[in-house]
Amino acid sequence: MRGLQFELESGQQRRVSKAQERLKDAAGSVHAAAFVNVGDTIQVDHEAGFLRGHGTQVVNGELLATVCGIVERVNKLVSVRPLRAKYNPETGDVVVGRITEVAPKRWKVDVNCRQDAQLMLSAVNLPGGIQRRRTAVDELNMRSLYEENDIISAEVQSLYQDGSLHLHTRSLKYGKLENGQLVTVAPYLIKRLKQHFHHLKQYGVDLILGCNGYVWIAAPSESGKSSVSDTPMDLSNDHGSEMSSKRSTTLIPSAQEDGKRDLSDDDKVRDSITRELRERICRLANAVRVLAALGLLIFVESIIDTYEVSLSWDTAVKDMLAAEFCIKIVEREAEHRDKKELAI
Amino acid sequence: MVALSAAEVRFIQGGIAHDLRSDGRGRYHFRPFSIQSGVIPQANGSGRCKLGATDVIASVKAELGRPPAGRPNHGSLVISVECSPTAAPEFEGRGGEDLSLELQRALERSLLGGPNGAGAAIDLSSLHLLEGKVCWVLYIDTLVLSSDGNLLDALSIAIKAALSNTGIPKVEVLASTSADEDPELDVDNEESSPLDISQVPITITLTKVGRHYIVDATAEEESQMTAAVSVAVNRKGIVSGLTKRGGIGLDPSILADMISVARHVSQTLIPTVDAEIAASESRAAGS
Repeated sequence: MRGLQFELESGQQRRVSKAQERLKDAAGSVHAAAFVNVGDTIQVDHEAGFLRGHGTQVVNGELLATVCGIVERVNKLVSVRPLRAKYNPETGDVVVGRITEVAPKRWKVDVNCRQDAQLMLSAVNLPGGIQRRRTAVDELNMRSLYEENDIISAEVQSLYQDGSLHLHTRSLKYGKLENGQLVTVAPYLIKRLKQHFHHLKQYGVDLILGCNGYVWIAAPSESGKSSVSDTPMDLSNDHGSEMSSKRSTTLIPSAQEDGKRDLSDDDKVRDSITRELRERICRLANAVRVLAALGLLIFVESIIDTYEVSLSWDTAVKDMLAAEFCIKIVEREAEHRDKKELAI
Repeated sequence: MVALSAAEVRFIQGGIAHDLRSDGRGRYHFRPFSIQSGVIPQANGSGRCKLGATDVIASVKAELGRPPAGRPNHGSLVISVECSPTAAPEFEGRGGEDLSLELQRALERSLLGGPNGAGAAIDLSSLHLLEGKVCWVLYIDTLVLSSDGNLLDALSIAIKAALSNTGIPKVEVLASTSADEDPELDVDNEESSPLDISQVPITITLTKVGRHYIVDATAEEESQMTAAVSVAVNRKGIVSGLTKRGGIGLDPSILADMISVARHVSQTLIPTVDAEIAASESRAAGS
């Protein structure tokens, strides 16, 4: 188990080993023979020819794996998909990131990747929702939008050849995140699904599963961020027409106004994060932490399942990170997979 | 050090005010911790404590030395702390020196005892060999491997585990000595005797965030602290050391309240620590 610290007594150790054995043999687990380590030879039909994919290398006429993972064959393409890797961004991924730097005309965002991502000033929605060319004053007032250490949700706009990553927040659902806590998990535990923004109505909590391993759990925000208006997502280039350049609205007055509004909104929300809501947020966060420590896939259903199970077992929120709860979750998972096998 | 947005800071402070921190703990709850004994076979005793993501190792090495001046029947303790660069990026090079010194001073205050040897963690006269000439000097070296807040408490737990694991080799004085000669000693490395650790105190750090104080702060919570008071308490509830960190001044009534909270927390914590140490010793002996 990674990330959680406790020593298991012999009885607990036995239960964990038994459950792990069941998981290995259960349906859906990859057979041990399909795993390769670094330097293992991959069986390939040399006469028929093959295409060498990622994670492989030809050494002395043999095809060797360069990473630990599972061999994937698509027609003639042979590649090795690593099981544990740093976050590999794809266009369209929803990510949660932390602003590390405010640079000229862009923000640098930490997204748990090999490099910091870039969020261009032209790729955000200006307060008021006006579509216009960014002026020098906009550049000077970037901090009124996002400051250092702010947490934002964004979408990956594009990847460049040199590996740099560009984000955009050109939609109402993206932007600064408040009133919650961030849980960091390994990126390979989060599946790419259609929906990454979840509003759990039964608990009244917002949940954002960033593909990069940053999970944001928060009290629900008021509909739409106060600084973004209702204009639909517009990906067209921002080079203003004559009309917009004539309008000399700058960032300063609207930002100040929004800033004041933000403060009073936040005060209201802070008082409205009641203890019950806070307990639900903490319980969900602990559910995510437990799933991450046990190496189980993290998606809405598994989080809700862990949440409900902790309630049904009367586990206190803080006890979810203790040994007993984690062992019971592992045993439960083993049972589930056995049942799936029987059902098939 | 720890990057937090203004919104996260508000959330943490709100949680502490509501007695429900980010991981569901109340203000006076410790994180689950684990202890391993005997992790360094070459040392006379060693212990490792993992408190959440904080990870520290303590080792005890017994060397022969001269008794302190004025107390010819006592041995002595020497404590040192090192913050490894693996614990945090700011510890690289000489960055960890200030923190190491601060932790060392705080531990010395609680474990070393007064000028006449009273109040030390272990009975110093049990380290006595030859009056005025030879005694055992215990070098307690600690290493911080990973830092997620509350280093002082984790260090004190690791030191207690290491002292519990320590075996002092049996020593026989061979030749009869005159006042000038250096005595000859036969150190038997096979047989060793344990130390009496019933008086070893545990440090409990209370971190003041806003109007409330919390026990066992994580690195995120520590970044929001205004002041921190570390109280070393032993099994009997006697306070054997007190350290205050942080720039904000404290009203004396708050200080008195914090000490009583620390003693109250210690009543559940010290038995848990002792039980964990006993369990880890039996695991080490069994394997």
